[in-house]
Amino acid sequence: MPDGLLSRARAAFDAAPPVGDAAYDRYCQVLGEELLAHWPRIAGANAADVAAAQRLGMPPTLVERLRLTDVHRDRMVALTAMTRQELRQVRETEVPVSGAARHVHRVPRPLGVVLMVYEARPTVTVDGALLPVAVGNAVLLRGGKETAATNAALERAVHAALARAGLPTGLVTVLDDPQRRLLRALLKRPDQVDVLIPRGSPALVEHCRTSAIPLIASGGGVNHLYVHRSADLELAVRATLDSKLPEPAGCTSVETLLLDRAVARDYFEALARALAGRETELTLHTAPELTALVPAALKTEPLAAHDLGREFLDPVVAVVPVDDERAALDHVRRHGSGHTEGVIARDRHVIDAFRRRADAAMVVVNGSLRLHDGPTLGLGTEIAIATGRLHVRGPVTLGALVTHSYVTDGAGALRG
Amino acid sequence: MPQELSLDRDAVATVVKKVVVAESRLSLPPDRVRDDEPLVGDLLNVNSLGFVGMLVRIEDELDVTLPDDLFVGRSFRTVRDLIDVVTAAEVQR
Repeated sequence: MPDGLLSRARAAFDAAPPVGDAAYDRYCQVLGEELLAHWPRIAGANAADVAAAQRLGMPPTLVERLRLTDVHRDRMVALTAMTRQELRQVRETEVPVSGAARHVHRVPRPLGVVLMVYEARPTVTVDGALLPVAVGNAVLLRGGKETAATNAALERAVHAALARAGLPTGLVTVLDDPQRRLLRALLKRPDQVDVLIPRGSPALVEHCRTSAIPLIASGGGVNHLYVHRSADLELAVRATLDSKLPEPAGCTSVETLLLDRAVARDYFEALARALAGRETELTLHTAPELTALVPAALKTEPLAAHDLGREFLDPVVAVVPVDDERAALDHVRRHGSGHTEGVIARDRHVIDAFRRRADAAMVVVNGSLRLHDGPTLGLGTEIAIATGRLHVRGPVTLGALVTHSYVTDGAGALRG
Repeated sequence: MPQELSLDRDAVATVVKKVVVAESRLSLPPDRVRDDEPLVGDLLNVNSLGFVGMLVRIEDELDVTLPDDLFVGRSFRTVRDLIDVVTAAEVQR
């Protein structure tokens, strides 16, 4: 069933210039311009999607996830500019060697045809049309049917940009068939689809894992923050709040605080002081032995067994008492998802233990878990945060959307 | 020729509960979820934007094909609502 669209994407990929060609720089530049020029039509299509969702009775919080505003427009345009700046980092490098050949180079190559599957959030359409394509990949974008009109309008802006940049328009295909049959058929084509990037609900990601196509995905963020008795407790409180409140449902949000019993009372008092006079809905799910230590000003509920290993997606943090770093690391091993783990401590041995033994895409020492973000860390613009163990782990930046060829200049050398 | 068949409600209930637990990012045995558990509440957090993924997971688990528009235009409040709709669906294997 998908042969036609797969062969069109493959043909565009084959016809596209190599990584680093000036056409990609032009594409990033003109995509920003085309998004602005097409904005009235994109906004109109989005209004139609939002109205349709409201007619179907979708809850207001979900409708808001479909809506594109001028803020989103400005962010998308800024993303094109940032990506353009970062293109120069994806370049050929010489590898130091001492063997027969005099020179060995690593030459970046695109991954190939990339299938992105996502739900709602039409800004992901621009993420997918920008980052992979800027380094020579072809993309098939399978968004949610709730934003079909918006995605179609975004595709027109993207195609206009590709044409102006001198790139094949077939590099970006927004799949307009909402049927699951097409998605199933594509997932069965590892011969034609080189990489799969799902961004969406756990069920969607799990379904994509059944495909034989190599996958770049996040397994969700069941993230912990361990507060050791040597910690600066004021910092521990600030890190807790920054790791949860700005984006309670974000994948780098803290879900469970592993609190050293020796400082539990002092930590709760510091937390109550920090929240005094602030409007917040923060709720702690506390283990029974901690309840008596929590000041009345803090909102608490009993910790339930199913709270361990849970992503609350709300301003809720589970609090589990631990004796030492070994107990904390053991808890992380049993319940963590390998996304983001943090430690607040002054003791070098404790910090070293966490640095070396917490097995996650990112280990944060004495800071907010939300530092785990490509642009925030200066690693570059990211299309996802990966928790897989191969090819890329952590922020999926431009450099992770390519593979490479080794190229050697033998200068006449033979192996013999 | 695809074969139409009806689904066993208990089998559907187990699969639906397994999927809503995963969708709510919980680690919990499916049999700990009550039929009248709200889809958005203290325990579960399931929204309609995740329905495509849930449908394909349910299809995977039951090894059947469900109608594409199964969840369209319906409102679901509890786990039982989901179980009922999937059980009553005309499915193909």
